[in-house]
Amino acid sequence: MADWTVDVAVIGAGVIGAATTYFNAKAGASVALIDSGDLAEGTSSKSDGNILVCDKLPGFDCLFAKASQDMFEQLSHELEYPIEWRQKGSLFLMETDEEMEIAKKFCDEMVACGIPMRMMDHKEIKEDEPLLADDLPGGLETACDGSLYPMGLCFGLAFQARKLGAQLLLHRTVTSIDKQDGGFVVHTTNGDIAAKNVVDCAGVWAPVIGRMVGLDIPIQARQGQILVSEQTFQVGRRKVHEFGYLMAKFQTDGYKRPVSEAIERNGVAFVFEPTASNNFLIGSSRRFAGEDISSDIEVMQAIAERAIRFFPIIADIKVIRAYTGVRPFTPDHMPIVSATPVPGFYIAAGHEGDGIGLSPITGKMIADMIAGNELMMDISPLRYSRFTEKAAQ
Amino acid sequence: MTQREVVVIGGGPAGLAASIEAARLGAKVLVVDENKRPGGQLFKQIHKFFGSRAHNAGIRGIDIGRQLLKDTEECGVEVWLNSAAIGVFSDNRVAVLRDGRTEIVQAQKILMCTGGSENALRFPGWTLPGVMGAGAAQTMINVNRVLPGKRVLMVGSGNVGVIVAYQLLQAGADVVGIVEGMPRIGAYGVHAAKVRRAGVPFFLGHTIVQAIGDDHVRQAIIGEFKDGQVVPNTEKIVDVDVICVAVGLRPLTELAWMAGVKHDFIPEMGGWMPLHNENMETSMPGVYVAGDIAGVEEANTAMDEGRLAGVAIAQSLGRIGNDEAEAKKQEIRDRLAALRMGPFGERRQAAKQRIVERGVN
Repeated sequence: MADWTVDVAVIGAGVIGAATTYFNAKAGASVALIDSGDLAEGTSSKSDGNILVCDKLPGFDCLFAKASQDMFEQLSHELEYPIEWRQKGSLFLMETDEEMEIAKKFCDEMVACGIPMRMMDHKEIKEDEPLLADDLPGGLETACDGSLYPMGLCFGLAFQARKLGAQLLLHRTVTSIDKQDGGFVVHTTNGDIAAKNVVDCAGVWAPVIGRMVGLDIPIQARQGQILVSEQTFQVGRRKVHEFGYLMAKFQTDGYKRPVSEAIERNGVAFVFEPTASNNFLIGSSRRFAGEDISSDIEVMQAIAERAIRFFPIIADIKVIRAYTGVRPFTPDHMPIVSATPVPGFYIAAGHEGDGIGLSPITGKMIADMIAGNELMMDISPLRYSRFTEKAAQ
Repeated sequence: MTQREVVVIGGGPAGLAASIEAARLGAKVLVVDENKRPGGQLFKQIHKFFGSRAHNAGIRGIDIGRQLLKDTEECGVEVWLNSAAIGVFSDNRVAVLRDGRTEIVQAQKILMCTGGSENALRFPGWTLPGVMGAGAAQTMINVNRVLPGKRVLMVGSGNVGVIVAYQLLQAGADVVGIVEGMPRIGAYGVHAAKVRRAGVPFFLGHTIVQAIGDDHVRQAIIGEFKDGQVVPNTEKIVDVDVICVAVGLRPLTELAWMAGVKHDFIPEMGGWMPLHNENMETSMPGVYVAGDIAGVEEANTAMDEGRLAGVAIAQSLGRIGNDEAEAKKQEIRDRLAALRMGPFGERRQAAKQRIVERGVN
């Protein structure tokens, strides 16, 4: 006899799980959100709050991100918890003429997809951000990008879902999942939940849940570190990052940045995000280090070195904290938002560094799939079976 | 990357005593300290030590500090001043902020002697300028020679509160009273007698209710305190420009947490502290603790814990034979046990014994 009986059991109370719970509850389903810890205790509390389209690839990737980004304005009114949504745009910085050329081509393709992007020359970026280094050839602005408070978003979605009747079943670890007629029984260390549908939103830990129903989910932990500055005067007015970030993220281009070995080795690319509290976050790093979330001084120094390259003034500002998290990485950099060969079992995981930004559309899509509604866009590139098809070939 | 055999973080009584001991036994020791001179809190302690049967009774803390500095120099310990250890990372790497740059020092052994920090007390107005820790006031008068104010209310009647109250009087301030939540004075009788003779009233069974002021403390409201509550209609207003808070210290443990050392909450020792074994080594091999970080006590116990760690480190580096090391360590342990006798020390002795018996694994 189960302790709870629901339409949808969502496993993982990070931002993807919270959004999935919220949109399912909003659609009228009874939902239980289950986690071994508390809300936003894993990757969602170790992230920055950027909601970006600019770092997606032209085509489906950027359109999916844009559709999600467009949902935040309404969410910021719908959720009672303050999520600090600000839409000031973002600025990519180019370091070399070669990067300018690649960026120009990228910009044209993104504009063709309807993304509000434009190239800026040296003079324009210095007017936009006066404290930038003097030798940068130009930038690429994306007007629609924004940022928010990621844990606030997570709390906001979960608390609003609870108001709609969802149950937050926290501090209970899922130990096994039994398939039964018309659904599943999710066993936890503190009670069993009978559910018609199960959504695996466990991020880095999604493979553990997948194995419980016999699914192999190709998600790996990819570590990232962030530095937090003291409260200061305004160093930069909005999200600023290096165009080389795209290359660090996708590691596909033959282009090599003129950077130190420590920067290269740790996949460091400059990302700057001012917060609502008048300090700023500096990233980023990408490396495979298992589930280790201890900060490393070499990575911290490389991040700082890169930040000073673009904003020399940062050399005079104190870093007060550093934190480290693990991103759920998939081999093709795209999340899995999908039904599976196990009827009633869905996966919403593998968003790497984009979980905060892609959470609304992910939650909405899963809710629509479960309700049998027509989806607002074709998301076949995110299907789970793309990995099994590949293996079969 | 810089390499050192032993890195001692914090050059207070524990760190210096440990460094001297280890260096005399042949270890190469680097002490890093964020202050412009080593010695920790000893240089604030212009009063004579007493109350323990062991050595140092009758000597002023400042003189003990001078002797430690002399010994440190004589036995070739390297000291980096104005150098803050800002992090401890995997493989015993210590990050030190020095001359505006972060230097990474790879150590074979790390000894953390970071000391303690004062507990805060939260009441309306507690963030107003003029509300400060008693230790901060002591630094102002005894080290920086600045009088924090003219009329001082001391909150807490333990040794720190009472000694600092007396030193504030000596420095020319008026101490308008010492507030104590308990029905009796916490400090040693001999310290309390000195401030009593000077006419400072004790408000026993009282607490601070509020600090009043706009840009600075102007008045304090105190009231009778019973069963964790302020008794209604017992509030009194006193004119003050400084409120000193002396409600205990806690181990300063951030670096130990960062190093991954196992901790536990030990109320007798000030709260969360790194667990250690009979050699002062923690759950992280090669990482040692001594002094207030390993439980808040006093300078004499800190120095002996430092010496204990110093011998253990030299032993683990093979600089001293096991028999000789064990004999030295036993001598120090016996002295520590003697220091922890009496009504104030017994609880700490029992707690330390419990910690060591439990082990770190």
